[in-house]
Amino acid sequence: MTSVSANSASRHPRFSRVNDLWPWLCAASVALSLLMLGALLTLLLVRGLGHFWPATLEEITLSSGETFAGQAVREVALPQQDGDERLYFTGNQDIDGVRWRWVAIDEIVERAQPTDLIRLDRSPWGDFIGRLVAIEQHGQRWEGDAAWQQLATLLKLPANQRQESQLLLTTVDGQILRQPLANVVSAQTPNAMAWWQKTFAWGDAVWRFLSEGPRAANTDGGVWPAIFGTVLMVILMSVIVTPFGVLAAIYLNEIAHQGRLTRLVRIGVRNLAGVPSIVYGVFGLGVFVYGVGGSLDEWFFSDTLPSPTFGTGGLLWASLTLALLTLPVVIVATEEGLARIPEAQREGAVALGATRLEMLTRIVLPMAAPAMLTGVILAVARAAGEVAPLMLVGVAKLAPQMPIDGEFPYLHLERKFMHLGYHLFDTAFHGEDVQAAIPLVYATALLLVLIVLVLNLTAIFLRHYLRRQRGNEC
Amino acid sequence: MTPPRLSSSRQRLLQDRVATGLITAGGVGVLLAILAIGVFLVWETLPLLVIGDTLALAKLSPLAWGTLKAALAALLFAIPVALGAAIYSALFMSARLRSRIKPALEMMEAIPGVVVGFIAGLILAPWVERHLASALMLIIWLPLSAALAGLLWQLAKTRLRRRLPLSWAGLWLVPWFVFMVAIALWLAPWLEQHWLGGDLRQLLDQRYGMDYATRNALIVGIAMGFAVIPSIYSLAEDALADVPSTLIEGAQALGASRWQALWKVALVAAGPGIFSAIMIGAGRAVGETMIVLMASGNTALFSASPFEGMRSMAAAIAIELPEASPGSQTYHLLILAALVLFIFTFLVNTLAEVVRQRLRRRYRQIGGTL
Repeated sequence: MTSVSANSASRHPRFSRVNDLWPWLCAASVALSLLMLGALLTLLLVRGLGHFWPATLEEITLSSGETFAGQAVREVALPQQDGDERLYFTGNQDIDGVRWRWVAIDEIVERAQPTDLIRLDRSPWGDFIGRLVAIEQHGQRWEGDAAWQQLATLLKLPANQRQESQLLLTTVDGQILRQPLANVVSAQTPNAMAWWQKTFAWGDAVWRFLSEGPRAANTDGGVWPAIFGTVLMVILMSVIVTPFGVLAAIYLNEIAHQGRLTRLVRIGVRNLAGVPSIVYGVFGLGVFVYGVGGSLDEWFFSDTLPSPTFGTGGLLWASLTLALLTLPVVIVATEEGLARIPEAQREGAVALGATRLEMLTRIVLPMAAPAMLTGVILAVARAAGEVAPLMLVGVAKLAPQMPIDGEFPYLHLERKFMHLGYHLFDTAFHGEDVQAAIPLVYATALLLVLIVLVLNLTAIFLRHYLRRQRGNEC
Repeated sequence: MTPPRLSSSRQRLLQDRVATGLITAGGVGVLLAILAIGVFLVWETLPLLVIGDTLALAKLSPLAWGTLKAALAALLFAIPVALGAAIYSALFMSARLRSRIKPALEMMEAIPGVVVGFIAGLILAPWVERHLASALMLIIWLPLSAALAGLLWQLAKTRLRRRLPLSWAGLWLVPWFVFMVAIALWLAPWLEQHWLGGDLRQLLDQRYGMDYATRNALIVGIAMGFAVIPSIYSLAEDALADVPSTLIEGAQALGASRWQALWKVALVAAGPGIFSAIMIGAGRAVGETMIVLMASGNTALFSASPFEGMRSMAAAIAIELPEASPGSQTYHLLILAALVLFIFTFLVNTLAEVVRQRLRRRYRQIGGTL
């Protein structure tokens, strides 16, 4: 092949020189796509995981003599003049009224990293950055190192057992604050920590992100309700979509007369996978929420009208809508699996006297099971990342109650729920302090991407394994 | 397996009948439910016909324009990259690399739209706003640098060529690109100062009167292009890889260079497949909601400027429908928008599917006769 191009190159040197560049542009497209994908994933990984690492705190003295403490976030060029300015996260919203501070770098006289700076994570009021003076409890008082040790032991107790303790804190510029210990979530001295202590603190912070609910209007805290809502919705959806998808696939492949109509229906089903998800959302809103939900309210919940029970977005309607959305995925994957089964297997079963039902349940379905599983996993992956239809049929920015609790009937299908994707959208675009929320948005995005990618990879490996197994059989 | 007991054969037949009936009912029911989507959308837009006023057109036309603009911007970015990648990985890439790269690129499709939208709207858009000249320079510089890599490679010694073959270029061009991006970002502010004498954004505003919105068509094009690339790539790659190798080999045996064989034979043979890939990509770009919602600013404008925002139909539905009271005119209008999206994507996908099936049949014929 190379010899051919070398030949023609010697005959028309100029022409083929230009033509030989095209493959490079094509190769560059692959490289560019890989680069973009890699950049996106790296960005999410670094920013999403890096947020939980205990950041170094700095004590800054300005040329005006003013001092403050904070965490350096980023630098940008000053508008309309030379030099850069740096953004510091300073916390202490209850004392200063703000949490961020831009400082021109030229104005900074001294940057120190004193080891006694502490960072408290509080609810309400967010972070405190400053120094610990003393702890007071039941008339007792600890100071210095003893105070810090006492704080560490007290923080291990649940919040309601440390009601009477108070922290005596000072900010770097000398303001004094009395902080009830009950409102403190965690405390650390990042500048004094060794790397392994930081690793533990990091693991702890990741765990709290995954296991706690959001605080401070979604700008702080964790995403546990969103994970729970996503998983619950997806489980409900798979419970609905699996039997119907498999039924439709079996009908199309095994029972329906393989004529022109069936072929048209098959193309139609395949194309539904390409219909925008928002259209399904519109259908869900119009039919499930307003139609079915509205009627249910009139028949069974008329005493609470006009406030709707089922006539508004909720868990059930969201699951149904997404089930409809992912139905084509399951049907197509199952049909593919069914089509792969050699006709001889079916004929053999029927020849041995099996009825169609027996042939299906004992021969065909077990063989097609991995394909079905692949389809369901792909459906789950698609549903987990889908946000647009949910905005219409029942997702909430902050659900006051979980959809599962101890009250009868335990599973509340009519309640609104939180969803990772929508949580991301909402905190990133409708939050009060977007700057503070962005690290958490990164972490949420990373979590969502990881969930979807893991599901997809599982489906790919399953399909690969299935093909190889079939290949050996045939 | 245990042999069936003869005594229950009638019962078995009955069971079979019932089960077949149930499956048929279930299958037909599911298909009807799917059909119901279309019926519902049409039914809910009928009241608009009765009202019959021209407001619908006035409200929907900026949205339609926004949708087209967003889709066009995305396709402008996605088609060259996706087709280039498809041509390369189907015809030039080494088989071992291809088996790894193809799933990786298809994985791009799985990345949720919210995540892409968030990165585009909150990270990329402000960066491009601050470094517009650098961003534009990157768009011009990257293809040039790829050609430069090709030129350098042709001038290089044989040993180096063997170490960095074209069949692995998709991989080793990545660090080259990182290097080139670094160079471009380092040079761009300097070039902006010297050639344009200051800030490009101010220049655009003063000389051409172009407004610059932070979230604009450029951003949407890049972000949605990123989302559309894998679907176009995957289908176009399949079409190209399925071209019977006898065709290409025949062309080369008749004296065509590799690129000529590709350009005149493979691309022509796979043409319908590539067309259907682009159609599917267009369908996806038109219906994508979250990326446009987060990266476009959502202002319903009639403007062709790449530096201004737009509002697409899908985004308008997502924003306005939850607030529209059922039965109101806005409600019906938005459902009309959904119907338009539905019909458009359905038609486009059907066309693509029919073309693809016909192509597959043709390949089978060619493969059979040879």
